[in-house]
Amino acid sequence: MTTARALAPPPPLAGRLLDAQLHLLDRQVMDNDGVPVTTVDDLELSGPALDVELAPGTPAPVLTALLTGPVLGTRIFGGRPPSSRLVRIPWEDVAEVGVVLKLGVGGGNLDATWVERWIRDKIIARIPGGRHDPR
Amino acid sequence: MLRRPALTGPATDLPRRKPHRWGVLAAGLALAVLSGCSGTGSTISTAVEDSTSAIATARLALSLDSAGKLTRAATSTALDDALKELATSRNSVLKLSPASEGDRQSVQEALSVLDGCAAAMTTARDAVAGGERAPSLSDGGQQLSEAADRLSQLGAKDGGK
Amino acid sequence: MKRLLGVALGILTAIGGFVDIGDLVTNAVVGSRFGMSLVWVVVVGVVGICLFANMSGRVAAASGRATFEVIRERLGARAGLANLSASFLINLMTVTAEIGGVALALQLASSVHYLLWIPVAALAVWLVVWRIKFSIMENVTGLLGLTLIVFAVALFLLKPDWGNLAGQALAPAVPAEETATTYWYYAIALFGAAMTPYEVFFFSSGAVEEGWSIKDLVQSRINVLVGFPLGGLLSVAIAGCAAVVLLPAGIAVTSLSQVILPVAEGAGKVGLAFVLVGLVAATFGAALETTLSSGYTLAQFFGWSWGKFRRPAQAARFHLAMIICLFVGLAVLATGVDPVLVTEYSVVFSAIALPLTYLPILIVANDPQYMGGHVNGRPVNVLAMAYLVVILVASLAAIPLMIVTGAGS
Repeated sequence: MTTARALAPPPPLAGRLLDAQLHLLDRQVMDNDGVPVTTVDDLELSGPALDVELAPGTPAPVLTALLTGPVLGTRIFGGRPPSSRLVRIPWEDVAEVGVVLKLGVGGGNLDATWVERWIRDKIIARIPGGRHDPR
Repeated sequence: MLRRPALTGPATDLPRRKPHRWGVLAAGLALAVLSGCSGTGSTISTAVEDSTSAIATARLALSLDSAGKLTRAATSTALDDALKELATSRNSVLKLSPASEGDRQSVQEALSVLDGCAAAMTTARDAVAGGERAPSLSDGGQQLSEAADRLSQLGAKDGGK
Repeated sequence: MKRLLGVALGILTAIGGFVDIGDLVTNAVVGSRFGMSLVWVVVVGVVGICLFANMSGRVAAASGRATFEVIRERLGARAGLANLSASFLINLMTVTAEIGGVALALQLASSVHYLLWIPVAALAVWLVVWRIKFSIMENVTGLLGLTLIVFAVALFLLKPDWGNLAGQALAPAVPAEETATTYWYYAIALFGAAMTPYEVFFFSSGAVEEGWSIKDLVQSRINVLVGFPLGGLLSVAIAGCAAVVLLPAGIAVTSLSQVILPVAEGAGKVGLAFVLVGLVAATFGAALETTLSSGYTLAQFFGWSWGKFRRPAQAARFHLAMIICLFVGLAVLATGVDPVLVTEYSVVFSAIALPLTYLPILIVANDPQYMGGHVNGRPVNVLAMAYLVVILVASLAAIPLMIVTGAGS
């Protein structure tokens, strides 16, 4: 039986304490205009890899990005896609965490909205009336 | 540069699933038993019931049409649907493979009655469709009521079986 | 005065929008085979749908979020995905049934074969979803659907033996020609036809579409508590007409053309005209609702931008999903499968999927984080828990009964 080692103390930060599972995962993400972007399907953390011994003084993992897209499948059924396959919303873009997550940027340039933009440009905008405002 | 080094070590095996043979076998057996349960007698009586319903629908539609309460479109649609139902019942009897001589007799009898019903229904539908050499509506109604009588006789005989 | 008109419009739309192809077919089949002995199921179903529509409207008004959005947040991705799969597939079956119903109703009116009407119906549904404003769509189909009141009118004009009908309804018994298992199978089918799952998703998403807030809750409550029971009365009238005309003639309903015969007998060609308009309006309205529901459930689960209040270019995946659903429904119907058969299966499968769709609403309606002060009161919770038991029993009994009775034959 190994003796338990004390974890390195968490870095001192100002702000709220959030539970990733409760407050971040499966939450709706809206851009700064209030247009829905996606739901948070998974989270990307920096820091030490799995199965690697932690050296004393290793900094704690830091949340680097919200993940969306096909990663939902691996979250539910298991496995991990390669890093290059992940569709990220960088954590720096998140402006507010409440019932929904609000971004500080517009959705137009995000990787996460690529499919929406493609469908819009190639399919919907080509059907007559696609850009018509219903109000 | 990769943010994290690649994972090392053997991939874990997929969890083994218990063979579902018994469940599939039981379900298949149940379905086989239940479907095999419908013998010749019950197929014929179901066909008789469905055909009685179809003929009654046709008679009701014709009488409403004569009373001026239905449009031609609605009457012809109702008759087409009834004809389709007759055809389905007839096919179910046709598909039977009777085992005994008695069963073969009843299948033949049922088929002849159902054919008569289909002929009556076609007459009625042609009467409604109109046209030059179409039969009259009263002809259609007459044939349908005769078909209904023969069906109820067949049904009574089967009920007595 | 304007307030009063608004309230009246809401109620009338709720009545006219209550009946869909599932109600039409199932009530007519039940009336023609069991008389009025299954009317109690309609009552149970109407109370249930009032309860859950009320809850889902309150969730949308209090939290500003539609039900499916909250299901994923509250229950997690795995349970949400299971829920989505079941709801979406059954919704797709219902879309197919409704479009088939529109085509059958148009065939009755025109004698052009229904297979030719199917692409027309699907295209028309898509055009309305694509262009027409949400409130206009709701109001027009709802008000036109009110013409189905002709079933009640025809029932009166047929001068039935009211005592006999009431006796059948209040002292239910299995008729001699049917078996107990078929009786309970059709009870479950009728229950599934009354408590359609898509209604709840559509209702709550519609609340978000129209921007409801707490002050609109009273209107929504009135719509539901007055409109739905009156719509339920329409269902009972359909069963009554079938019981009075078709049951004595030995006619078992297997096609839509038989459903309208009692109306023609009672109210003549005028009644026939009304019922045909009502059939087309009710099935078309329900086709719109189910198509939108399929879009809503997918978009809300995956976090896409959704809503008819947005221009299609701003809700691209939402609209594409609905176009694909319509194509699938079209393809299924083009194989020549009988739409009435699809309807009969869709109501039973709706009953099977009911626990998956109602349990999350019950959970969310009790969550103060979303509802604030508007969580369920004690009496509502007691009733809702009782209904959950009924729903579970119906869902579990459906498949065995379907196998034993051969899907009700």
